[in-house]
Amino acid sequence: MYDAAMPPPELQRARGHAAVAFSLRGGQSRLDRLHQSGSAKAMLPASYGEGPELVFLNTAGGLTGGDALRYEVALGAGTRVTAATQTAERAYASSGGTARMDVSLTVGTGARLDWLPQETILFERAALARRTDIALAGDAVCLMVETLVLGRAAMGEVVERAEFSDHRRVTRDGCPVLVEPVRIDETVLSRRTGRATLAGARAVATLALIAPGAEDAAGRLRALPDVPGVTWAVSGWDGKCVLRAMAPDAFPLRRLVMAAIAALRPGPLPRVWTI
Amino acid sequence: MTADLLTLTQWLSPAFPVGAYAYSHGLEAAVLAGDVTDAASLQEWLGDVLALGAGRADATLLSAAHRGEDCGALSDTARALCASRERWAETMDQGRAFAAAAMATGDDIAAMPYPVAVGVAARRLSLATETVAALYLHGFTSTLVSAAVRFVPLGQSDGQGVLSRLHPVIEQVAAEAATAEVADIASAVFAADIAAMAHETLEVRIFRT
Repeated sequence: MYDAAMPPPELQRARGHAAVAFSLRGGQSRLDRLHQSGSAKAMLPASYGEGPELVFLNTAGGLTGGDALRYEVALGAGTRVTAATQTAERAYASSGGTARMDVSLTVGTGARLDWLPQETILFERAALARRTDIALAGDAVCLMVETLVLGRAAMGEVVERAEFSDHRRVTRDGCPVLVEPVRIDETVLSRRTGRATLAGARAVATLALIAPGAEDAAGRLRALPDVPGVTWAVSGWDGKCVLRAMAPDAFPLRRLVMAAIAALRPGPLPRVWTI
Repeated sequence: MTADLLTLTQWLSPAFPVGAYAYSHGLEAAVLAGDVTDAASLQEWLGDVLALGAGRADATLLSAAHRGEDCGALSDTARALCASRERWAETMDQGRAFAAAAMATGDDIAAMPYPVAVGVAARRLSLATETVAALYLHGFTSTLVSAAVRFVPLGQSDGQGVLSRLHPVIEQVAAEAATAEVADIASAVFAADIAAMAHETLEVRIFRT
């Protein structure tokens, strides 16, 4: 009756993997392969812009300790695809272990990928390790955005404990061209009002265009109108144009990010950003 | 050992012609924005940049170079880690100047990002990686304190007080960086990175960064 050997019940962990590949056929970017398993879904809604619009969705509704989510996109030479996420990704409190999220994007010669995921929202005691690897070949182009939100301002949430690492790495022909490793942990959160760190901000964003001659786009971004409450600046160098922004609230930051994305690509924003 | 310490001190002294005095790492913009106004706010800003920003990143790159890791790969990573155009200029220009000036101490090294160049040059010295990293960070901090003394402005002794109170941070970051992997580098100085970018478009600038 006293079964001491009984293992504790295994907690249900979400696993998801979605992988999509495109190639150029008849002058158009065509779907080659679409794999989805577990909680990861990849959808191709009707697109009104240049090239297909790919949307990833984590049906688990968020990430918690032990979850593993993987998104992959492979673009063949000359293709042009926009990839986004259906909703903000939520990193919930972990009851043990770290959630893993891996995004692996490869962009062939002459191809362009716009990787436009929506916000990542960190909740109190979130534990998430994310890696985004973007491998460009030859003269490939990539536009990427990452927005982090610490809790929900409207709910009055203040995040004091979290273990979040977000390693963003872009290579061109194997050589790193943009490495942005972000870590938000208890130490950083305890310094949240620091004038060098978060300066009280609850939302931070990085938008980067990586392309031969991308530095020329800096002028276009600097000309964007200010959004009240958002602190931001732009720099262009070494085949990159980067906008960094922070704000006490996620909403005004999103407005600026949307304007910046629109300034750097022809056609409308992905529909998931505007609904 | 003492001779090697003297060589390292020479390389990292303000007199060594890398032009360090010309760079503020975005501090000039932070002062103009009202983020750094006195000794206390300077200490906080520098402490965070040391522990959560370029200080730790540079010390980690330097340590990996000093331990003998491939300097080509380290240089690529150092370059890709730069958060803005002026940060890139700061590390590339000082690295180039350091390599040129090191000829005077009999060291023939290639132009590389500054922390990688110092790490490679220091391989021949019988000094612990931690010591080299600590002195490098001390030079970095000392340069920025001097910039603040001139620009905030602060009294000389207030500036030296800030530098002295940052010694424990320098010591800790150097000790951790000495054994850290380059893959462990992480940053959280979002506001300082924006300040470094904002510096590019200031109408009147004293410093190059």
